[in-house]
Amino acid sequence: MAEGALNYDPSKNYDDQTCAQQRDIEKAIADEQPLVSDILSFDELKTEYQDDEIFKLKIDDLKGRYKHMRKTRGDGNCFFRAFGFAYLEQLLNNNTDFPRFKEIASKSKDELVALGFPQFTIEDFHETFMEVIEKVEKKCTNEEFYQLYTDQGISDYFVVYLRLIVSGHLQKEEDFFIHFVEGGRTVKEFCNQEVEPMHKESDHIHITALTAALGVNIRVEYMDRGDTPKCNQHDFPDGSRPSVYLLYRPSHYDILYP
Amino acid sequence: MAGSALKRLMAEYKQLTLNPPEGIIAGPVNEENFFEWEALIMGPEGTWFEGGIFPARLTFPTDYPLSPPKMKFTCEIFHPNIYPDGRVCISILHAPGDDPMGYETSAERWSPVQSVEKILLSVVSMLAEPNDESAANVDAAKTWREDRQKFQEIAQRTVRKSLGL
Repeated sequence: MAEGALNYDPSKNYDDQTCAQQRDIEKAIADEQPLVSDILSFDELKTEYQDDEIFKLKIDDLKGRYKHMRKTRGDGNCFFRAFGFAYLEQLLNNNTDFPRFKEIASKSKDELVALGFPQFTIEDFHETFMEVIEKVEKKCTNEEFYQLYTDQGISDYFVVYLRLIVSGHLQKEEDFFIHFVEGGRTVKEFCNQEVEPMHKESDHIHITALTAALGVNIRVEYMDRGDTPKCNQHDFPDGSRPSVYLLYRPSHYDILYP
Repeated sequence: MAGSALKRLMAEYKQLTLNPPEGIIAGPVNEENFFEWEALIMGPEGTWFEGGIFPARLTFPTDYPLSPPKMKFTCEIFHPNIYPDGRVCISILHAPGDDPMGYETSAERWSPVQSVEKILLSVVSMLAEPNDESAANVDAAKTWREDRQKFQEIAQRTVRKSLGL
């Protein structure tokens, strides 16, 4: 072995090297994948799975039930990004649910403050969140909405705020959600480590909390390795009529259009 | 993105000026550049570092507060969780997953709702209670664990030095 190849050198700044490497990976993903893609056909999705008979069958299953899809960037925020885009785009085209949603959105900041979130650290996120919602309320064009939502700064702030809504709901309903938190952590610790930080991936517990907090139902189509030719569906909450449709492939969420 | 970071940093500076936590002074090095701060931290009472005034630098990324700042003491300080070059190594300065030291699962992590104040308060607790499980200065951790007397002598020397004595 080369001399010193694995020697730990305390004078070296490994922290910064690790972070720099992490940034390089994030940048490579960002250059390759838009935050939210244009509308894509399922045949385009199929090109990713040339030699995968099971996934091709599952894509055919989706094709029979959905018109098309949009991909989101695989940066750990995809569930929130996909949900926000799909739901707001829908409000843009049909605003019957708008007044109800806007009221929840406006009130949410005070609820977070009441739960102990420091006002000055959540204010900017809430402000951006409301700005995006108000653009939708004023009926911007679909193109304007797309531009707004794929602006990295705005989009990330929107995602942060959705994460805070989930965190707030989990903490408010702590007695219930504690049963679903793994690793012997408290709900607050779970929120600090798995919900509030950017790039942390979402699980059932995040989806359950978001649908409950906003009153927006989600159907997820699971395209997994199981050998049935169809995708499994799950509705959040169980038995509800969905308004947002998402596609799940291992560790990733995209948007579906029925 | 830098625009929202600047807005947030100005709000935090205002907050810290209006309600300064005990034993901590912090703010931008100059008003031209809000992404570089200087902090003065007083060694907490009843600890090895009591009486010292320790200067540090905080460097904020352009996507703050999505990502955490870095913090580095600019004085000599011998402590298990501070690298020999002054860099502070505590869990709140890292997002989860970005884990050079393998922090324990209950350790508080960086997220956009944390703040400079929370970081500085964590640093004060770190000075009071070193964590030798995730040592950044192996020498200091070993001395802390095995020779408290010597650790105390070194700590008090850095206290005097921090005061220019």
